[in-house]
Amino acid sequence: MAGRIATALVGGYAAAAALATLAARLLPIDRAEATSWAMILSFPVYGGLALWCFNERRVAKVALVVWGTALLAGGAAYLLGVRP
Amino acid sequence: MKVTLRQSMAWIHGWLGLLAGWILFAMFLTGTASYFRPEITQWMQPEFRATPITPARAAQTAVSYMQSVAADDVQWFVYLPDARTSITRIYEIRNPASKAPPRPFEIVLNPATGQPLKARETQGGEHFYRFHFQLQLPYPWGRWLAGLCAMFMLGAIVSGVITHKRIFADFFTLRWNKGQRSWLDAHNVSAVLALPYHAMITYTGLITLVAMYMPWPVMANYAQPLDFGAVAFGIPADRAASGKPAPFVDVGPLVADAQRRFGGEATRLVVRNPNDAAATVTVYRHPSASLNARGPSVTYSGSDGRVLEQSTGSGPGIATAGVMLGLHVAQFAGTALRWTYFALGLTGAAMVGTGLLLWTAKRRKPGAAPFFGLKLVERLNIAVVAGLPTGMAAYLLANRLVPAAAAGRADTEVAAMFWTWGALAVLQLARPARRAWAEAFAVGAVAFAAIPVVNAATTARGLPGSLFDGDTLFAGFDLAMLAVAALLAIGAWRAGRTQAPVRRRVREMERV
Repeated sequence: MAGRIATALVGGYAAAAALATLAARLLPIDRAEATSWAMILSFPVYGGLALWCFNERRVAKVALVVWGTALLAGGAAYLLGVRP
Repeated sequence: MKVTLRQSMAWIHGWLGLLAGWILFAMFLTGTASYFRPEITQWMQPEFRATPITPARAAQTAVSYMQSVAADDVQWFVYLPDARTSITRIYEIRNPASKAPPRPFEIVLNPATGQPLKARETQGGEHFYRFHFQLQLPYPWGRWLAGLCAMFMLGAIVSGVITHKRIFADFFTLRWNKGQRSWLDAHNVSAVLALPYHAMITYTGLITLVAMYMPWPVMANYAQPLDFGAVAFGIPADRAASGKPAPFVDVGPLVADAQRRFGGEATRLVVRNPNDAAATVTVYRHPSASLNARGPSVTYSGSDGRVLEQSTGSGPGIATAGVMLGLHVAQFAGTALRWTYFALGLTGAAMVGTGLLLWTAKRRKPGAAPFFGLKLVERLNIAVVAGLPTGMAAYLLANRLVPAAAAGRADTEVAAMFWTWGALAVLQLARPARRAWAEAFAVGAVAFAAIPVVNAATTARGLPGSLFDGDTLFAGFDLAMLAVAALLAIGAWRAGRTQAPVRRRVREMERV
């Protein structure tokens, strides 16, 4: 249960932040607009992910999806770097 | 055994509410009070009666005062008076090389004279407002904790809606004159009707501090995060001081010009490098002019007054964030809507409070000794739900009872709130739980009822007089305190009755 809670709280935030960062970087609209939409929508994503962590029975799947999303999206955003 | 979505959501809903409930209750209550932040400040300085003044004139008096005491500052932030605020507030960034004696963190002026306000020292409504999102903790921990609790609230709302399967039926269910049944339906209808407000205020609350909670998207798009601030928040481009002194422009005409461009009143000036050749003056529009709390701004040269830059219209994403902020702080709201916000805020506190009560009601077994967790939650419920309002009353009472000239009285007022709250939290432990509920509510009712009495005894603006004089702010404030006292008295009366209402709640919890 501790792992599930940590995944929901910390992993959920990391995944939502990484997805928001990637979306802000990739959305083909004005950079200020992309930034703002990503920031606004990151909270429902975080909330949804965190709640899902407590609905999915297999804790391994929870960890894989949440931390995997955080790593993949975060890694992609890191490799892409700052929008030119 | 497969756990259904509703079961898992009911489980997490209980934990989210339990862990964040007490802080959320305090955030709801102080946030609700903050809808009347400037009015509370005015009430807490009864010796000062505002004279109407234009923003342009207030800007002039503020700048001439700052020129006399702080001409070598790096920046001045001037918050102008408006229809609801009667004082000018100024914050400064001091020149590190300055040898002048320290000044207060916040400079408060009488806008008409441009001299420091001659009124009792107080934090006024600012205290409730700051507590609402900083929880009296050092920066940045209070803000992080408030954000975490807001996230818990968002999760609790979503999981609560999923759990509550009869949500649409309850929307239309109000059976009158069926005794206990009607109370239950009324509770459900009010909770569900206010749900859009609860969801809105929670989500928009997170947006108020989004730049702190979720800064990462900015870093993906800007090498200099301040460039995003320039677009999103109307922060003008940074212009370094030239080092060449130059006489500072008269700001009155600049404010008047900015107001013509906005088609609305000015609310705030930011002066950078005053008395330097590269000085700038940025004027911001008052948030009451639009749902979007982030109004446009104009930046002028502080040496010759020409327009340097004007914030351009923002796109839908930036505007959405601004409107969400506006919906949260409600500065656009007129009197009727403001009171509606106030009432809805109270339903938020009631929703959290009843949720905490249901947690204990559901677990209390008739005849069995309560387990430790149950006793702990029940005592914390009493301490927060019944104790905090009394603490808030103590803050207001201290404002009238601490001598107006006492040194450090603003801090004494704040201390009065926390000492009273803490004392109640401890004292209630000496009483059986149900008596403690009733008595703590009763103490709160007496404390709020005492506010108009003490106000009448210590100021010339007591209730009958304020009604006769058309002093709507003081009359409204006193009447609101009496209404809160009545609400708490009803709470005390209901809590002191027989056990019946609690059993009814247990059945309801088993049904959902």
